[in-house]
Amino acid sequence: MNEIGADLTIELNHAAGEMLAESSLMEVFTAELWRLKRIIAGMGLSASDGEDVLQDVSIRALKQCRGGSRTALPSRQENIKWLIKVTVNRCLMEHRRRRTFRRHAREILKRRLETKAASKPAVENVIVAEELEIVRDSLQKLDDLLLAPMVLRYFCNLNSKEVGEILALSPSTVRSRLREARMILAKRLLERGVEP
Amino acid sequence: MNKSCREIEQTLVDYADGQLSPGDSNKVAEHLTTCEHCRKMLNGLQKSLELAGVIWADSLSETENIRIPISRKVRKRRWLRYAAIAAGILLVVTTSFVWRTLVRPTETEPSLAEIEREIINEGMSAKLLAVADLLASKPYAKTLIKNQYEYIVDRYPNTNAAATARLKIQ
Repeated sequence: MNEIGADLTIELNHAAGEMLAESSLMEVFTAELWRLKRIIAGMGLSASDGEDVLQDVSIRALKQCRGGSRTALPSRQENIKWLIKVTVNRCLMEHRRRRTFRRHAREILKRRLETKAASKPAVENVIVAEELEIVRDSLQKLDDLLLAPMVLRYFCNLNSKEVGEILALSPSTVRSRLREARMILAKRLLERGVEP
Repeated sequence: MNKSCREIEQTLVDYADGQLSPGDSNKVAEHLTTCEHCRKMLNGLQKSLELAGVIWADSLSETENIRIPISRKVRKRRWLRYAAIAAGILLVVTTSFVWRTLVRPTETEPSLAEIEREIINEGMSAKLLAVADLLASKPYAKTLIKNQYEYIVDRYPNTNAAATARLKIQ
């Protein structure tokens, strides 16, 4: 009788552990949705592509927690890193397929002026639109190896060590890729005769 | 661009990000006061990042409207499951109906063996009835003929000959 009781306790603990793992990863997914959306936006995906990416990530998260280890539950930080990693990889896959920051500079500028309710002189707006177009085009042409660290470091505010953990790179490699990406963007801006 | 500029350019991104040690940072700052090329490059680095931020933020305003997809996906999957169950039930019912109507013979329809048996019974009973009718004119054979009619009714009850024999007995 005692043995049956012990078996039942073990089973209940396993079930509780599974539920905890599942709810924990899915809770992290919901809580960190803003960060994942930021990555998607940074990688230049449209809303519909982004929705596909998030659906895939959520399904992978569900599979991961159902098929995961029963003994060791990952920490919240590990869950966040896992989610970011999966999202970045999924975005890169989509990005390679589409490779597009769809909204053009003039549209971006118009939206910004509308939201800020501030009007600059027309000539100045033309210059900013031109600069935006150059950077937009440069981001579009940027190698995936350089784009992912750029987005994670400068748009998601992660440090080089965290970016390295997510992309499976050393912090020094991350820094060198960031340097290369930043120099490409700056040089293209200067080459096109834009006065900083 | 001289050798010193090339060296400084390597560290400009780290300088802009505040990643350099105070000593290296001072060295770069000192160089920047005298070198217009590196100053322009630093401004280019800062401006391009600022503009990239604008592009990303604009893209985010579109992405922020994405609904949490998980519930929709799960609902979609449940729908599929229900549809599969309904399709399965429909398939079983249809197959069963088709099998019953096409493959299995109906109870009212006689088989060939039954038809053959009926024909033989009709023939045999008619033959016995004809013999009995032939003997009916003989007065000594009254009992024998009655027995013959009764035999036909008993042995071949559903035949035309049996119906005639029944009338004759009465």
